Amino acid sequence: MKRFDIVTLESPNRAPLRIEGFLFGEENSKGASIAIVGAMSGDHINQLYVASGLVEYLRIKEEEGKIIGKILIIPAVNAYALNMGEKNWPLDKTDLNMMFPGYHQGETTQRIAARLFDTLKGYKYGVILEGRRDQGMCLPYVKLIKSGYEDLECVKDLGISFIHYRPYEPIETAMLQYNWQLWETKAFSIVFGKNGAIDHNDSDEVHTSLVRFLSKRGLLEHTVFEGRTSNIIDPHNMTLLKASRAGIFISKIRCDTHVEKGEKLGKIIDALTGKRVEDIIAPCEGIVTCQYSHPLIFQNSIAFRIASIE
Amino acid sequence: MGVIEEVFTIDLPVGENFRIQRCRYTSPNAKVENEKRISIVSGIHGDELEGQYLCFLLGEWLRTNSEKIRGVIDIYPAINSLGLDSISRSIPFYDVDLNRAFPGSKNDFLPAQIADGVVNAMRGSDLAIDIHSSNVFLREIPQVRIAKSQEETLVPLANLLNIDFVWVHDAVTVLESTFAHAMNTIGTKTLVVEMGVGMRLGKAYGHQLLDGLLNLMAHEGILDIEPLDVRFPIQSHVGEVAYLNASVPGLFVPVIEHCQMVAIGEVVGHIVSALSGEVLDEVIAPIGGILFTLRAYPIVYEGSLVGRIFGEHQ
Ligand SMILES: [Zn+2]
Repeated sequence: MKRFDIVTLESPNRAPLRIEGFLFGEENSKGASIAIVGAMSGDHINQLYVASGLVEYLRIKEEEGKIIGKILIIPAVNAYALNMGEKNWPLDKTDLNMMFPGYHQGETTQRIAARLFDTLKGYKYGVILEGRRDQGMCLPYVKLIKSGYEDLECVKDLGISFIHYRPYEPIETAMLQYNWQLWETKAFSIVFGKNGAIDHNDSDEVHTSLVRFLSKRGLLEHTVFEGRTSNIIDPHNMTLLKASRAGIFISKIRCDTHVEKGEKLGKIIDALTGKRVEDIIAPCEGIVTCQYSHPLIFQNSIAFRIASIE
Repeated sequence: MGVIEEVFTIDLPVGENFRIQRCRYTSPNAKVENEKRISIVSGIHGDELEGQYLCFLLGEWLRTNSEKIRGVIDIYPAINSLGLDSISRSIPFYDVDLNRAFPGSKNDFLPAQIADGVVNAMRGSDLAIDIHSSNVFLREIPQVRIAKSQEETLVPLANLLNIDFVWVHDAVTVLESTFAHAMNTIGTKTLVVEMGVGMRLGKAYGHQLLDGLLNLMAHEGILDIEPLDVRFPIQSHVGEVAYLNASVPGLFVPVIEHCQMVAIGEVVGHIVSALSGEVLDEVIAPIGGILFTLRAYPIVYEGSLVGRIFGEHQ
């Protein structure tokens, strides 16, 4: 294992920012190569946990001589934010994952992104461990955008239940996945968990699926159990259940629950009177992939997302 | 007198509504043929207040000159009302920049619903003026920024606004999620004004832009007044913009005031170390011209923008 600084940046008053990389296998290996990027936001704790767990796992595998290709893990990109409970870059509040491909002559976070991206270019596979961009929690799923350079086949080797495969939105052109794909890395994101917390089930599942991917794609000598057969879903397969009222949100189910039409999934209570103001009922059969995770809910917030095959 | 209306409201979890209000001024006479409608918008970013002052000045003018009105004038001083009352640039709780959430959707999270509500409230306006005051880091002279694709339609309107600078820039895909892009797409000619600095009020800029707005509305037939004698802005195509980025982290101390002319090679400011007492770097003007952007917040990292100079081609 080689531990090294990918980016260092001096600060006016605090200790320098260091984005550290952990490299396994031969630097000039003829085998495949993969880079896995962890917490880009200060609240992506699950992502940090999975990435650092993978560093420890691969350290042992390397001692056993099991690494075939070249594997780079970057557990924390935005350590500055992680260390102070911020989400974004602490001074100007920009989101590092909105700064790609970066710009060496630009603003601070554009420079950080550019330096990081220089290191990430050229890998065959690229994995971004992402948190949610809303107040939800979800089953681990793969987010694969249609940039024209994406590779759906390789993503199936993760054995994750759902692959959300869809066109990209304008703001996603500034994100790592899109730019990494344009540079011909087979890049995808695994979105999971709840921001600011660690979910052990989800983290274990993502860890296992990454190990499976490494094994199936010839980066790691290790026999793995088969994963699930992935369901490829697009926005048409998703039913969004919104809260029609604001208040205190009580969920009755866990993500990954298979629900029947008419099943009660949760309720909303008036935050001042304690009166129940809404029952949230499944309008169709399917699997709950995502739910609102904050105890206070806003009117029209999405309380549950249900994936259906029909 | 304007009519105050609530155009968007949504329940917050604990006994409160999030609301967007507007004050609408209409022609006091009988219905005007083909009357035009304009929306004046401020506070999409909760830390920007110059637009609020402009809204006040315009409202004050309209209250005393209501007989001049020949169209519909809507004033929306506070889009991100939660953020304005709490110094939060983004939508609180979600921490999302509202100006990256357009056109929005009813089926999405709160910021997208607010964006959708804003678009629907203003849908049908002929014109919209979206007033920003940079951010807390940079101070700007009054300017309008226009995407290249909108140059032909919008530059002639911007030239009426009594501003100092019209900056036509290459559109980046990310900017498709802004208010201005969403409104221009549905046929409302929308100008983005940047002036001043975040969290502060510069009275002079408010009065300058008020004259510009009155002039624009006179030209558009929304006000029955003589056009004003306004300044003609510098056009970005006649020159180039040079960016001054900090080369080292430290404390930026300007030596030249905002909005001054600088010569090539002139020192714009210093970056100093508060700890060692050293001057770490001199910020030098790479071109001559007007210093139209100057850093207001002194802490800088490597890369932090400290100024922008516009220089005309020789
Ligand atoms: Zn703004």
